[in-house]
Amino acid sequence: MLDVQAHDEISDIMAMDAAEQNFFSDDDMTEVDRDMSKVHLNQATPDRFKTKSFPMAASNFNSKLTSMQAMENDPVILLRTFYNRFFPYKTYFNWLNYDTTPNKNFVQREFSFTLASDTYLRYNSFSDAEELRNEIERLQPVKIDIGAIYTAKPKDKKTINPKAFQPVEKELVFDIDMTDYDEIRTCCSGGDICHKCWGFMTVAIKVIHAALKEDFGFKHILWVYSGRRGVHCWVCDERARKLNNEARSAIVSYLEVVKGGAEMSRKVKLPATLHPSLTRSLDILRQYFLPLVVKDQGVFNDEKSWKKILNIIPDQAVQAKLAERWEGTDASGKSRWDDLRTELEKNEYAKRKTGDKLNLIPRDIIFQYTYPRLDDKVSTNINHLLKSPFCVHPKTQRVCVPINPDTCDQFDPFSVPTLQTLTKELESYNAANTKETDKRMADYDKTSLKEYIGTFELFVDGLLKEALERKRAEASVSMEF
Amino acid sequence: MSKPMQPKHQNRFNRTSLYKPTGEVVRHSEYPCRLNFYLRPPPVEISVEDFERFALDRLQVLKTIENATLRNKKADEFRREMDRVSSEHMRMRTGHTKEAMEDRKKDHVSHFILRLAYCRSEDLRAWFLRQECALFRYRFELESRKDKEVFLKSLDINWKVVSQEDKMNMKAELESCAIWTAKAAGIQNVKDFVENETYFEVEFEKVPDLIGRRSVLVRRGKAFVPMTEQISLVMDEFKARLSKALEATAKALPRMDEDERLKPVLLNVEKQYTGKDYGDVTNVTGKVKASEVDGLSQHFPLCMSNLHQSLRKDKHLKHGGRMQYGLFLKGIGLSVEEALVFWRKAFGNHTDDKFQKEYSYNIRHNYGLEGRRVNYAPYSCMKIIQSNQPSTGDHHGCPFRHFSAQSLEATLYKNKVGAPQVNEIVRLAKDRHYQLACTRYFEVTHPEMQSGQVGTIEHPNQYFDMSQGKLPDSDAMTTD
Ligand code: SF4
Ligand SMILES: [Zn+2]
Repeated sequence: MLDVQAHDEISDIMAMDAAEQNFFSDDDMTEVDRDMSKVHLNQATPDRFKTKSFPMAASNFNSKLTSMQAMENDPVILLRTFYNRFFPYKTYFNWLNYDTTPNKNFVQREFSFTLASDTYLRYNSFSDAEELRNEIERLQPVKIDIGAIYTAKPKDKKTINPKAFQPVEKELVFDIDMTDYDEIRTCCSGGDICHKCWGFMTVAIKVIHAALKEDFGFKHILWVYSGRRGVHCWVCDERARKLNNEARSAIVSYLEVVKGGAEMSRKVKLPATLHPSLTRSLDILRQYFLPLVVKDQGVFNDEKSWKKILNIIPDQAVQAKLAERWEGTDASGKSRWDDLRTELEKNEYAKRKTGDKLNLIPRDIIFQYTYPRLDDKVSTNINHLLKSPFCVHPKTQRVCVPINPDTCDQFDPFSVPTLQTLTKELESYNAANTKETDKRMADYDKTSLKEYIGTFELFVDGLLKEALERKRAEASVSMEF
Repeated sequence: MSKPMQPKHQNRFNRTSLYKPTGEVVRHSEYPCRLNFYLRPPPVEISVEDFERFALDRLQVLKTIENATLRNKKADEFRREMDRVSSEHMRMRTGHTKEAMEDRKKDHVSHFILRLAYCRSEDLRAWFLRQECALFRYRFELESRKDKEVFLKSLDINWKVVSQEDKMNMKAELESCAIWTAKAAGIQNVKDFVENETYFEVEFEKVPDLIGRRSVLVRRGKAFVPMTEQISLVMDEFKARLSKALEATAKALPRMDEDERLKPVLLNVEKQYTGKDYGDVTNVTGKVKASEVDGLSQHFPLCMSNLHQSLRKDKHLKHGGRMQYGLFLKGIGLSVEEALVFWRKAFGNHTDDKFQKEYSYNIRHNYGLEGRRVNYAPYSCMKIIQSNQPSTGDHHGCPFRHFSAQSLEATLYKNKVGAPQVNEIVRLAKDRHYQLACTRYFEVTHPEMQSGQVGTIEHPNQYFDMSQGKLPDSDAMTTD
């Protein structure tokens, strides 16, 4: 557990540090790595992969397995199959290029790869989908990160004057990670998730999606499962891509409600009259608070977790009064929540002149226990890299698939295809269907990846349609002259 | 004084592109307003003596601004400080008298000189931009409504006014965003306020500060900004233009450096900007051993002793904590070798291999031995307080800023501070005087130091030095 948690934190740090360094100028270390890895790769030793196996895969190995079965479960081979047969290169290219013929959006875009050997390659860039495909198939990265669009091709970085190499555009991105919910989760902690806590991600998607659409007017928003314990959001409208860091920070602090570190028990403090955006959020939170927080999470059930809630109340006398009523009883969570509300909403507290208005506290508790928690560093800096959709998480082997925000209530992270299930599905489809038409079908259409790629294609179609309309509009304007 | 700008012959310089060597005398129409966006260079020649005097005067004003922000002065205190320093160094008289024109010319010229001095690096530019924005804002708020209008008209900025009909269609939403704005404008009834107020419709990107504070209505990408908040729009313009201009000046600078008379003055002006530099780590002494850190931790400010204790308790610190604490330790004299020993032992739960792979790079990086090889400086209080807010599971930050009142109180009692002082310190922190609270905490826990000897804590490493009886180097603290 500890191990797993630390590892994930590290990969975040790596991305951040790299971004920090890059913010100023060169990062020699990465450059060196890049060169060294080239040497390795040119020798093209498949042995390199054999010596390194994933912890998960290692536990799957069983000496009784036949060599064929062992092959099927070898993560290296599975990953290769994935990149050869399942990865949607074309749609992926159309997405990041925002058009079908290569332009600077794609050509000057940074990709970075983490290899199985832990080597981290930054500043890769490609001239088209084909080149990207070849490189991915050659490197077999365990992780792909997407960075900014620069003023020049990232792969030429070394030969350009640093002043002429600046990040200019990037999608507005958000990262919501379940570890940030640890202080309010009662079911799991760290990298683990279960059906009881996944609801937090569902609420997060709904709240953020509504704000991005209705307040900021963004239309092209892609939600992606991070492969393990969270979700990523890519806002792809042209306007979003062009935001400067200051505007990005402003959006983040507009969206941020839960604040404060380990030493602060009350993390939400909102004015009596809510901003319209938060009123809308509260309506969403209210639908989830009882089933998710009170029932599934049971935050009012055991003493340790309800004490945490009582600590939020900025009046120790009231805290003590409620604690006394609750201690040693086995009242239901719902009845304790009702009790707390009735107590705090009493007139005497609402009217009093000094101190906090206690009648607002239940509302703020709903916010603190349900409102999305964002990792702001990821969003506020245009340089920050974020893991690409359709990566495969090395620990869970699950594909980072898009999530349709309209049906995110039904999304189940445990039914997301893994490398193993995909390979099996493909095999059994091919065994059962041998017609010519089946042979011509894309491989992912034969598996459960189909619906997710469908979501992705729909999303990219929306972008391409808009690009086309813009071109037409421009053409008709230039005709007029 | 009828021709005050007549150049002294041998001191004249005229090779910079910013000063047209025309010897023009200021015409009154040059400065119709006290406010200036500094879009054009000043049309005058000026002597080297004036050049330096003007620059230093403006610098006094900018430094006062910085100081006041550092001390989290409340709005009215800030204004009082500004009134004082302005009357001493940069008067801005009203009307169209000759004196008023002189004031405005000096303002204009001095701004451009500092632009030259402060365009040389990203940091200097950011510093200058911050202080100049605050200065402009302060002056803008001093102007009458009419003067503001005259000024804005001269700038020729187009903001779309929201029609009465559109306004009424989103009345309820506008009202729930206007509670504070109305109160600040002295109007109790929000409905009245919204009805009578003129609203502008702008792209939300133009008013990041209002968005960040959630103090305007945003709908489908448009922000609806009340006239009262117009200052945000103006500041956005001011900032955008000045920041562009600074970069342009930076590009043009090499040419100006050729001027041998100008250069020393500019360098002198630029140097004024910092006092003793705790951020200077070019010579890490390396005097402190990893094993001595526990003993020395009694001299740590609260932010660092909190990190130290969390590290001992959890055998781990998240990234923000490692950065803040690691750089501080470097500042007190831990060499990179000792730092590696210290962190290796502290992260007792990790395997050697894991530590080597995942943390040692970071530590070496802090010492400028990896990556882009920058010798990172320990964070100042300002940086700790303002940037990178701690979130769940983080222990970095400043306890006076980031602890709840209850936790802060408990920590102070635990550190044997008496009840009256605890109340005093907690109150300071509550009023957002974080560094003063820290200074007070220092005084209370170091009764042997005479109060008054202790300047405001501005840097955790300064706290550490002072706690060990090293008084701040008085030479370095004064600026002539
Ligand atoms: S004021 Fe500075 S030194 Fe004092 S605790 Fe805060 S950050 Fe640390
Ligand atoms: Zn769970």
